[in-house]
Amino acid sequence: MLSGEGLALGYGNNAVADGVDFSLSAGEILAVIGYNGSGKSTLVKSILGVTPLLGGRLHWSAGAPPAPIGYLGQLSEFDRRFPMRVIDLAATGGWAGLGFFQGAGRTTRRAAEAALEQVGLSDAATLPLHKLSAGQLQRALFARTIVQDARLIILDEPFAAVDQSTEADLMALILDWSRQGRALMVVLHNLSAVLEHCSAALLMGRGRSVYGPTREVLTPERLVDRGYMAADQAALIAAASSAGSGKGDGRA
Amino acid sequence: MLEFLEFAFMRKAILAVIVLSLGMAPVGCFLVLRRLSLAGEAMSHAAIPGIALAYALAGLSVLSMTLGGLIAGLGVALLSTLLARVTLLREDASMATLYLLALAGGIFLLSVRGTAVNLEGFLFGNVLGLSDGTLVLIGSSTTLTLLGMALILRPLVLQTVDPVFARSQSRHGWLIRSLFMILVVLNLIAGFRALGTLMAVGLMIVPATAARYWVNALTPMVVLAFVFGAGSGLLGLALSFWLDSVPSGPGIILVAGLVFLVSLAFGQNGLDLLGRLSGRRTRSTLSNNSKLGKDP
Repeated sequence: MLSGEGLALGYGNNAVADGVDFSLSAGEILAVIGYNGSGKSTLVKSILGVTPLLGGRLHWSAGAPPAPIGYLGQLSEFDRRFPMRVIDLAATGGWAGLGFFQGAGRTTRRAAEAALEQVGLSDAATLPLHKLSAGQLQRALFARTIVQDARLIILDEPFAAVDQSTEADLMALILDWSRQGRALMVVLHNLSAVLEHCSAALLMGRGRSVYGPTREVLTPERLVDRGYMAADQAALIAAASSAGSGKGDGRA
Repeated sequence: MLEFLEFAFMRKAILAVIVLSLGMAPVGCFLVLRRLSLAGEAMSHAAIPGIALAYALAGLSVLSMTLGGLIAGLGVALLSTLLARVTLLREDASMATLYLLALAGGIFLLSVRGTAVNLEGFLFGNVLGLSDGTLVLIGSSTTLTLLGMALILRPLVLQTVDPVFARSQSRHGWLIRSLFMILVVLNLIAGFRALGTLMAVGLMIVPATAARYWVNALTPMVVLAFVFGAGSGLLGLALSFWLDSVPSGPGIILVAGLVFLVSLAFGQNGLDLLGRLSGRRTRSTLSNNSKLGKDP
């Protein structure tokens, strides 16, 4: 789907990360991990074309970015007071393919209904956004991503504000997407979820990055090295995983 | 009671407020929803020196005054965005400063220029003395607005609800934003002759705010804003016809204010007094709001 080669990320003259390499193919889930400010969101914005790269190159296997790119970002600027129903929000995922004056027709509407059913929000379809809980809103946004029906999907901290059962449901959706052959890039903080579900990981921090198979990247030494956790935290994890069945448990 | 319909100037005025409300409803709704209500107010004042200057140079020509207003209004909007970007001050501070300067400059120009334009009519509107040129301006402005809004509606909605997502889907956000701002200023200028420079923004903001208290979807909000706006326009006109000394602008906005108060008291998103009295189970707006504040 795409690969990055020697990417330099940042704004203006401020590079937050340099020499970032990664590759992502169809059906794969790539986890992006790093402390706040390590450049994860900047990487996402550069792939989306919102922020220009300071250096390096993105290679798209199709020659150009796919359209649309499925995207679910952080909600700091999301306006929950906008007069819109849940079903309308889900339907906005289908707007990319519409012409200027063309209305969103029955196809989009049906796709939105089906998507709401998949995320378990059928009963809330006509609720206004301001009546939703944080978990319900995140489900609605996943429904929008389903309607987008994109080959490449980028999720930036999709579980930041949701409870465990919502996270489990939404994780199942992500796995479905991957089985359907979509390429996924997910910024995550839950290391055990990364170890369990993601085939590859990109660990960012202190201006550098490590990319590779998840188990080789998420070692206690590397996590400490990239400033993701303190040495004593990593020691605890190492102890826990050697005490266990030898299967790495990266619970932080 | 309806004897005022016999006067041609009154029929013109009625036509003007209805057509004006038609364009102002969608623009006003987005102005409110994008938290730009006060910026709209600022831009309406900012347009004054442009109009005054055009008047001083070219006389009472609708076209040149419109262009002058557009340039000055958009100029202040752009300049305050620019200042916010290159200096430490936030946009609202630079905008407030610039529009106050513009307002002072405009009034200064108008006063120095002499008595040909009556200042009260300029500030508070003279809807009962509309020229045919002004009617053409209002009609063109509304036509352009409805076409323009239809063109940018979807990206504008996305930008307002979820700006981060909107940026991820389109590179043309700035174009949509600029087109919208042009429509805002255009409607303000179209409203100036009828409502005055101090009151024109009111016919955009007040009906839209009142409408939001009743409904939770965009289309009904715009329709209701139009009904409220046109209704306030008609009643306000009648008021200013019956009470000779009341200028039309404040008359119309006062009626709109009354609609706002009723909506605040009884709307489902307002205080919902009837709902509470009848014990209907509704989540209180206040607890809703505090919850909104906590959410990311």
